[in-house]
Amino acid sequence: MTTKAKALIAFGLYILIAVVLVLVLGSNGKNEEFTPTDEFKLDPWVSIEFGPVDMSINKAVLYLFLACVLTTVVMTYIAKRMVDKPNRVQTAMEVMYDLTYSNIARNNMSREMSARWFPFVATLFFFIWISNLIGYLPLPTNTEHSTNIFGLELPTLALYAATANISVPIILTLVVWFAYQAEGIRAKGFVSYVKGWIPSGTPGVLKGPIFVIEAISQFVRIISLSVRLFANILAGHMLILFMGGGLAVILGIAALGWVTLPLAIIFFLLEVGLIATLQAFIFATLASIYFGEATAASH
Amino acid sequence: MLDIALPIAQETTTGVTDDGLKAIALGIGAGLGSIGAGIGVGFIFGKVIESVTRQPEMREEITSIQWLGFALTEAVAFYTFIFGLIAFFL
Repeated sequence: MTTKAKALIAFGLYILIAVVLVLVLGSNGKNEEFTPTDEFKLDPWVSIEFGPVDMSINKAVLYLFLACVLTTVVMTYIAKRMVDKPNRVQTAMEVMYDLTYSNIARNNMSREMSARWFPFVATLFFFIWISNLIGYLPLPTNTEHSTNIFGLELPTLALYAATANISVPIILTLVVWFAYQAEGIRAKGFVSYVKGWIPSGTPGVLKGPIFVIEAISQFVRIISLSVRLFANILAGHMLILFMGGGLAVILGIAALGWVTLPLAIIFFLLEVGLIATLQAFIFATLASIYFGEATAASH
Repeated sequence: MLDIALPIAQETTTGVTDDGLKAIALGIGAGLGSIGAGIGVGFIFGKVIESVTRQPEMREEITSIQWLGFALTEAVAFYTFIFGLIAFFL
Protein backbone atom coordinates (compact mmCIF):
# COMPACT_ATOMS: atom_id res chain seq x y z
CA MET A 1 0.00 0.00 0.00
CA THR A 2 1.40 3.40 -0.88
CA THR A 3 2.18 5.97 1.79
CA LYS A 4 -0.54 8.22 0.42
CA ALA A 5 -3.14 5.49 0.82
CA LYS A 6 -1.99 4.76 4.36
CA ALA A 7 -2.12 8.43 5.30
CA LEU A 8 -5.60 8.82 3.85
CA ILE A 9 -6.86 5.74 5.69
CA ALA A 10 -5.38 6.97 8.99
CA PHE A 11 -6.98 10.37 8.52
CA GLY A 12 -10.32 8.79 7.61
CA LEU A 13 -10.16 6.61 10.72
CA TYR A 14 -9.43 9.73 12.81
CA ILE A 15 -12.52 11.53 11.48
CA LEU A 16 -14.63 8.38 11.86
CA ILE A 17 -13.68 7.96 15.53
CA ALA A 18 -14.41 11.65 16.11
CA VAL A 19 -17.92 11.25 14.68
CA VAL A 20 -18.51 8.06 16.70
CA LEU A 21 -17.39 9.80 19.89
CA VAL A 22 -19.71 12.73 19.25
CA LEU A 23 -22.64 10.39 18.77
CA VAL A 24 -21.83 8.16 21.72
CA LEU A 25 -20.78 10.73 24.31
CA GLY A 26 -22.80 13.73 23.24
CA SER A 27 -22.71 16.96 25.12
CA ASN A 28 -22.94 17.63 28.83
CA GLY A 29 -23.93 21.24 28.44
CA LYS A 30 -21.74 24.23 29.14
CA ASN A 31 -19.55 23.93 32.18
CA GLU A 32 -19.66 26.99 34.38
CA GLU A 33 -17.36 25.74 37.13
CA PHE A 34 -14.12 25.29 35.22
CA THR A 35 -12.16 28.53 35.02
CA PRO A 36 -9.07 28.01 32.86
CA THR A 37 -7.62 31.38 33.82
CA ASP A 38 -6.91 29.88 37.24
CA GLU A 39 -3.61 28.77 35.77
CA PHE A 40 -2.49 32.41 35.82
CA LYS A 41 -3.93 33.24 39.21
CA LEU A 42 -1.31 33.79 41.89
CA ASP A 43 -2.25 32.70 45.43
CA PRO A 44 0.12 33.95 48.09
CA TRP A 45 1.80 30.98 49.77
CA VAL A 46 3.84 32.91 52.32
CA SER A 47 2.26 36.28 52.90
CA ILE A 48 4.75 39.13 53.22
CA GLU A 49 3.19 42.57 53.18
CA PHE A 50 4.86 45.90 53.82
CA GLY A 51 1.79 48.07 54.21
CA PRO A 52 0.21 48.39 50.76
CA VAL A 53 3.08 46.58 49.01
CA ASP A 54 2.41 42.89 48.55
CA MET A 55 5.67 40.95 48.44
CA SER A 56 4.26 37.53 49.25
CA ILE A 57 5.90 34.42 47.91
CA ASN A 58 3.70 32.81 45.29
CA LYS A 59 4.00 30.63 42.21
CA ALA A 60 5.59 33.32 40.06
CA VAL A 61 8.22 34.09 42.71
CA LEU A 62 9.08 30.41 42.91
CA TYR A 63 9.49 30.17 39.13
CA LEU A 64 11.61 33.33 39.01
CA PHE A 65 13.80 31.95 41.77
CA LEU A 66 14.09 28.64 39.93
CA ALA A 67 15.09 30.42 36.72
CA CYS A 68 17.74 32.47 38.53
CA VAL A 69 19.18 29.45 40.32
CA LEU A 70 19.18 27.30 37.18
CA THR A 71 20.83 29.96 35.06
CA THR A 72 23.64 30.74 37.48
CA VAL A 73 24.27 27.16 38.58
CA VAL A 74 24.29 25.68 35.08
CA MET A 75 26.51 28.39 33.62
CA THR A 76 29.07 28.41 36.42
CA TYR A 77 29.12 24.61 36.59
CA ILE A 78 29.94 24.33 32.91
CA ALA A 79 32.40 27.19 33.05
CA LYS A 80 34.34 25.63 35.91
CA ARG A 81 34.73 22.38 34.04
CA MET A 82 36.11 23.64 30.75
CA VAL A 83 38.89 21.53 29.30
CA ASP A 84 40.94 21.82 26.14
CA LYS A 85 39.26 18.86 24.48
CA PRO A 86 35.62 19.87 24.78
CA ASN A 87 32.90 17.32 25.35
CA ARG A 88 29.43 17.85 23.94
CA VAL A 89 28.16 20.07 26.74
CA GLN A 90 31.11 22.40 26.47
CA THR A 91 30.77 22.51 22.69
CA ALA A 92 27.12 23.42 23.04
CA MET A 93 28.01 26.14 25.51
CA GLU A 94 30.71 27.48 23.17
CA VAL A 95 28.12 27.62 20.38
CA MET A 96 25.78 29.58 22.65
CA TYR A 97 28.64 31.93 23.61
CA ASP A 98 29.43 32.51 19.97
CA LEU A 99 25.76 33.15 19.24
CA THR A 100 25.41 35.71 22.01
CA TYR A 101 28.77 37.38 21.43
CA SER A 102 29.16 37.50 17.65
CA ASN A 103 25.56 37.43 16.57
CA ILE A 104 23.69 39.33 19.25
CA ALA A 105 26.26 41.67 20.77
CA ARG A 106 28.97 42.38 18.19
CA ASN A 107 26.62 42.62 15.22
CA ASN A 108 24.73 45.48 16.80
CA MET A 109 27.11 47.21 19.19
CA SER A 110 30.59 48.65 18.76
CA ARG A 111 33.52 46.84 20.36
CA GLU A 112 33.63 49.09 23.45
CA MET A 113 29.90 48.86 24.06
CA SER A 114 30.04 45.09 23.59
CA ALA A 115 32.81 44.82 26.14
CA ARG A 116 30.62 46.66 28.63
CA TRP A 117 27.18 45.28 27.87
CA PHE A 118 27.79 41.79 26.49
CA PRO A 119 27.48 40.10 29.92
CA PHE A 120 24.15 41.85 30.48
CA VAL A 121 22.75 40.96 27.06
CA ALA A 122 23.90 37.35 27.31
CA THR A 123 22.40 37.03 30.79
CA LEU A 124 19.13 38.46 29.47
CA PHE A 125 19.14 35.81 26.76
CA PHE A 126 19.85 32.88 29.07
CA PHE A 127 17.52 34.06 31.83
CA ILE A 128 14.55 34.59 29.50
CA TRP A 129 15.32 31.34 27.67
CA ILE A 130 15.40 29.24 30.82
CA SER A 131 12.42 31.11 32.28
CA ASN A 132 10.38 30.34 29.15
CA LEU A 133 11.49 26.71 29.03
CA ILE A 134 10.70 25.79 32.65
CA GLY A 135 7.22 27.14 32.02
CA TYR A 136 6.59 24.03 29.94
CA LEU A 137 7.68 21.58 32.62
CA PRO A 138 4.82 20.38 34.82
CA LEU A 139 5.79 21.14 38.41
CA PRO A 140 3.76 20.44 41.54
CA THR A 141 2.60 23.99 42.16
CA ASN A 142 -1.17 23.79 41.85
CA THR A 143 -2.36 24.49 45.37
CA GLU A 144 -6.03 24.61 44.35
CA HIS A 145 -6.28 20.87 43.73
CA SER A 146 -4.20 18.34 45.60
CA THR A 147 -3.84 14.64 44.98
CA ASN A 148 -3.41 11.86 47.43
CA ILE A 149 -0.23 9.84 46.91
CA PHE A 150 0.47 7.19 49.56
CA GLY A 151 -1.56 9.21 52.04
CA LEU A 152 0.31 12.48 51.43
CA GLU A 153 -1.62 15.50 50.16
CA LEU A 154 0.56 16.76 47.31
CA PRO A 155 -0.29 19.65 45.01
CA THR A 156 -1.07 18.52 41.48
CA LEU A 157 1.16 19.30 38.54
CA ALA A 158 0.63 22.56 36.70
CA LEU A 159 2.21 24.53 33.89
CA TYR A 160 3.13 28.15 34.50
CA ALA A 161 5.74 30.49 33.07
CA ALA A 162 7.10 33.44 35.00
CA THR A 163 7.24 35.45 31.77
CA ALA A 164 3.50 34.88 31.28
CA ASN A 165 2.93 37.51 33.97
CA ILE A 166 3.26 41.06 32.63
CA SER A 167 5.42 42.17 35.55
CA VAL A 168 8.50 40.11 34.63
CA PRO A 169 8.91 41.28 31.01
CA ILE A 170 8.09 44.85 31.93
CA ILE A 171 10.79 45.00 34.57
CA LEU A 172 13.35 43.55 32.16
CA THR A 173 12.24 46.10 29.55
CA LEU A 174 12.47 49.01 31.98
CA VAL A 175 16.01 47.99 32.95
CA VAL A 176 17.01 47.83 29.27
CA TRP A 177 15.22 51.10 28.43
CA PHE A 178 16.75 53.18 31.22
CA ALA A 179 20.14 51.60 30.57
CA TYR A 180 20.26 52.47 26.90
CA GLN A 181 18.88 55.97 27.40
CA ALA A 182 21.55 56.55 30.06
CA GLU A 183 24.24 55.16 27.75
CA GLY A 184 23.11 57.43 24.92
CA ILE A 185 23.08 60.52 27.14
CA ARG A 186 26.46 59.60 28.58
CA ALA A 187 27.97 59.08 25.13
CA LYS A 188 26.58 62.14 23.39
CA GLY A 189 25.25 64.58 25.94
CA PHE A 190 21.54 65.08 26.45
CA VAL A 191 20.73 67.64 23.73
CA SER A 192 22.91 66.04 21.11
CA TYR A 193 21.52 62.57 21.89
CA VAL A 194 17.92 63.74 21.64
CA LYS A 195 18.73 65.59 18.41
CA GLY A 196 20.16 62.34 17.09
CA TRP A 197 16.69 60.83 17.05
CA ILE A 198 15.95 62.81 13.90
CA PRO A 199 17.51 61.06 10.92
CA SER A 200 20.06 63.22 9.14
CA GLY A 201 18.83 64.59 5.86
CA THR A 202 15.29 65.48 6.87
CA PRO A 203 14.27 68.87 5.47
CA GLY A 204 13.99 71.65 8.04
CA VAL A 205 10.19 71.91 7.98
CA LEU A 206 9.75 68.23 8.84
CA LYS A 207 12.19 68.21 11.74
CA GLY A 208 9.53 69.14 14.30
CA PRO A 209 6.89 66.52 13.46
CA ILE A 210 9.53 63.83 12.88
CA PHE A 211 11.01 64.58 16.28
CA VAL A 212 7.62 64.16 17.94
CA ILE A 213 7.03 60.87 16.15
CA GLU A 214 10.50 59.60 17.06
CA ALA A 215 10.05 60.60 20.71
CA ILE A 216 6.73 58.76 20.88
CA SER A 217 8.28 55.70 19.30
CA GLN A 218 11.07 55.71 21.88
CA PHE A 219 8.48 55.57 24.64
CA VAL A 220 6.34 52.99 22.82
CA ARG A 221 9.43 50.74 22.81
CA ILE A 222 8.77 50.05 26.49
CA ILE A 223 5.34 48.65 25.67
CA SER A 224 6.35 46.87 22.49
CA LEU A 225 9.39 45.09 23.91
CA SER A 226 7.57 43.86 27.00
CA VAL A 227 4.25 42.99 25.35
CA ARG A 228 6.00 41.02 22.60
CA LEU A 229 7.57 38.62 25.10
CA PHE A 230 4.56 38.55 27.42
CA ALA A 231 1.93 37.98 24.73
CA ASN A 232 3.92 35.27 22.95
CA ILE A 233 4.31 33.17 26.08
CA LEU A 234 0.79 33.90 27.35
CA ALA A 235 -0.81 33.02 24.01
CA GLY A 236 1.23 29.83 23.85
CA HIS A 237 0.09 28.73 27.29
CA MET A 238 -3.53 29.62 26.58
CA LEU A 239 -3.47 27.70 23.30
CA ILE A 240 -2.09 24.60 24.99
CA LEU A 241 -4.64 25.01 27.79
CA PHE A 242 -7.65 25.36 25.54
CA MET A 243 -6.63 22.87 22.87
CA GLY A 244 -5.47 20.29 25.38
CA GLY A 245 -8.88 19.90 26.90
CA GLY A 246 -10.03 23.30 28.11
CA LEU A 247 -12.39 23.72 25.16
CA ALA A 248 -13.83 20.25 25.58
CA VAL A 249 -14.48 20.80 29.30
CA ILE A 250 -15.96 24.28 28.91
CA LEU A 251 -18.30 23.32 26.10
CA GLY A 252 -19.07 19.93 27.64
CA ILE A 253 -18.50 18.11 24.32
CA ALA A 254 -16.19 15.26 25.22
CA ALA A 255 -15.43 14.33 21.61
CA LEU A 256 -13.91 17.77 21.05
CA GLY A 257 -10.94 16.61 23.09
CA TRP A 258 -10.19 13.91 20.51
CA VAL A 259 -10.09 16.51 17.76
CA THR A 260 -8.08 19.18 19.56
CA LEU A 261 -5.53 17.00 21.33
CA PRO A 262 -3.18 16.52 18.32
CA LEU A 263 -3.32 20.29 17.84
CA ALA A 264 -2.36 20.74 21.49
CA ILE A 265 0.62 18.40 21.07
CA ILE A 266 1.73 20.24 17.94
CA PHE A 267 1.42 23.62 19.67
CA PHE A 268 3.35 22.33 22.68
CA LEU A 269 6.20 21.11 20.48
CA LEU A 270 6.13 24.37 18.52
CA GLU A 271 6.30 26.41 21.70
CA VAL A 272 9.10 24.45 23.35
CA GLY A 273 11.08 24.00 20.17
CA LEU A 274 10.79 27.40 18.57
CA ILE A 275 8.98 30.16 20.42
CA ALA A 276 10.74 29.90 23.79
CA THR A 277 14.22 30.23 22.28
CA LEU A 278 13.16 32.69 19.59
CA GLN A 279 11.59 35.15 22.03
CA ALA A 280 14.68 35.13 24.23
CA PHE A 281 16.86 35.72 21.14
CA ILE A 282 14.60 38.56 19.96
CA PHE A 283 14.63 40.29 23.34
CA ALA A 284 18.41 40.13 23.62
CA THR A 285 18.91 41.20 19.98
CA LEU A 286 16.58 44.16 20.30
CA ALA A 287 18.24 45.20 23.54
CA SER A 288 21.64 45.22 21.85
CA ILE A 289 20.19 47.03 18.79
CA TYR A 290 18.88 49.75 21.11
CA PHE A 291 22.25 50.01 22.86
CA GLY A 292 24.08 50.20 19.54
CA GLU A 293 21.67 52.74 18.10
CA ALA A 294 21.91 54.96 21.17
CA THR A 295 25.69 55.24 21.00
CA ALA A 296 26.25 55.05 17.26
CA ALA A 297 27.99 57.96 15.58
CA SER A 298 25.54 60.34 13.94
CA HIS A 299 24.15 58.84 10.75
CA MET B 1 -36.56 56.33 33.79
CA LEU B 2 -35.33 56.19 30.21
CA ASP B 3 -31.79 55.25 31.23
CA ILE B 4 -33.11 52.13 32.93
CA ALA B 5 -35.61 51.19 30.26
CA LEU B 6 -33.47 51.81 27.18
CA PRO B 7 -30.78 49.12 27.74
CA ILE B 8 -33.42 46.54 28.62
CA ALA B 9 -35.44 47.43 25.55
CA GLN B 10 -32.28 47.33 23.45
CA GLU B 11 -31.34 43.91 24.75
CA THR B 12 -34.71 42.30 24.27
CA THR B 13 -35.24 43.62 20.77
CA THR B 14 -31.83 43.22 19.20
CA GLY B 15 -30.07 40.92 21.66
CA VAL B 16 -27.13 43.32 21.97
CA THR B 17 -25.57 43.28 25.43
CA ASP B 18 -22.38 44.65 26.91
CA ASP B 19 -20.89 41.17 27.19
CA GLY B 20 -21.78 40.42 23.59
CA LEU B 21 -20.10 43.60 22.39
CA LYS B 22 -17.00 42.75 24.41
CA ALA B 23 -16.89 39.31 22.85
CA ILE B 24 -17.16 40.83 19.39
CA ALA B 25 -14.33 43.25 20.22
CA LEU B 26 -12.07 40.41 21.29
CA GLY B 27 -12.94 38.28 18.27
CA ILE B 28 -12.51 41.04 15.71
CA GLY B 29 -9.39 42.40 17.38
CA ALA B 30 -7.50 39.15 17.55
CA GLY B 31 -8.91 37.85 14.28
CA LEU B 32 -8.24 40.83 12.02
CA GLY B 33 -4.79 41.26 13.48
CA SER B 34 -3.77 37.90 12.11
CA ILE B 35 -4.25 39.12 8.53
CA GLY B 36 -1.31 41.50 8.76
CA ALA B 37 0.87 38.96 10.52
CA GLY B 38 0.08 36.29 7.97
CA ILE B 39 0.97 38.51 5.04
CA GLY B 40 4.09 39.83 6.73
CA VAL B 41 5.52 36.47 7.77
CA GLY B 42 4.83 34.98 4.36
CA PHE B 43 6.57 37.95 2.74
CA ILE B 44 9.65 37.54 4.91
CA PHE B 45 10.08 33.86 4.20
CA GLY B 46 9.41 34.43 0.51
CA LYS B 47 12.18 36.99 0.40
CA VAL B 48 14.49 34.61 2.25
CA ILE B 49 13.81 31.90 -0.32
CA GLU B 50 14.51 34.36 -3.15
CA SER B 51 17.74 35.65 -1.70
CA VAL B 52 19.08 32.21 -0.77
CA THR B 53 18.36 31.15 -4.35
CA ARG B 54 20.42 34.06 -5.61
CA GLN B 55 23.33 33.62 -3.20
CA PRO B 56 23.38 30.26 -1.41
CA GLU B 57 26.61 31.11 0.42
CA MET B 58 24.86 33.84 2.46
CA ARG B 59 22.50 31.33 4.03
CA GLU B 60 23.57 31.57 7.71
CA GLU B 61 23.68 35.36 7.77
CA ILE B 62 20.24 35.60 6.23
CA THR B 63 18.88 32.97 8.60
CA SER B 64 19.49 35.07 11.70
CA ILE B 65 17.91 38.15 10.09
CA GLN B 66 15.02 35.90 9.03
CA TRP B 67 14.24 34.85 12.60
CA LEU B 68 14.50 38.44 13.81
CA GLY B 69 12.08 39.62 11.13
CA PHE B 70 9.70 36.74 11.77
CA ALA B 71 9.40 37.45 15.50
CA LEU B 72 9.00 41.21 15.01
CA THR B 73 6.22 40.70 12.45
CA GLU B 74 4.48 37.99 14.50
CA ALA B 75 4.51 40.33 17.50
CA VAL B 76 2.09 42.73 15.77
CA ALA B 77 -0.58 40.03 15.75
CA PHE B 78 0.04 39.58 19.47
CA TYR B 79 -0.39 43.32 20.05
CA THR B 80 -3.89 43.11 18.56
CA PHE B 81 -4.59 40.09 20.74
CA ILE B 82 -3.60 42.08 23.83
CA PHE B 83 -5.74 45.04 22.74
CA GLY B 84 -8.64 42.64 22.35
CA LEU B 85 -8.02 41.27 25.84
CA ILE B 86 -7.89 44.81 27.23
CA ALA B 87 -11.20 45.57 25.51
CA PHE B 88 -12.67 42.39 26.94
CA PHE B 89 -11.54 42.66 30.53
CA LEU B 90 -11.07 46.37 31.17
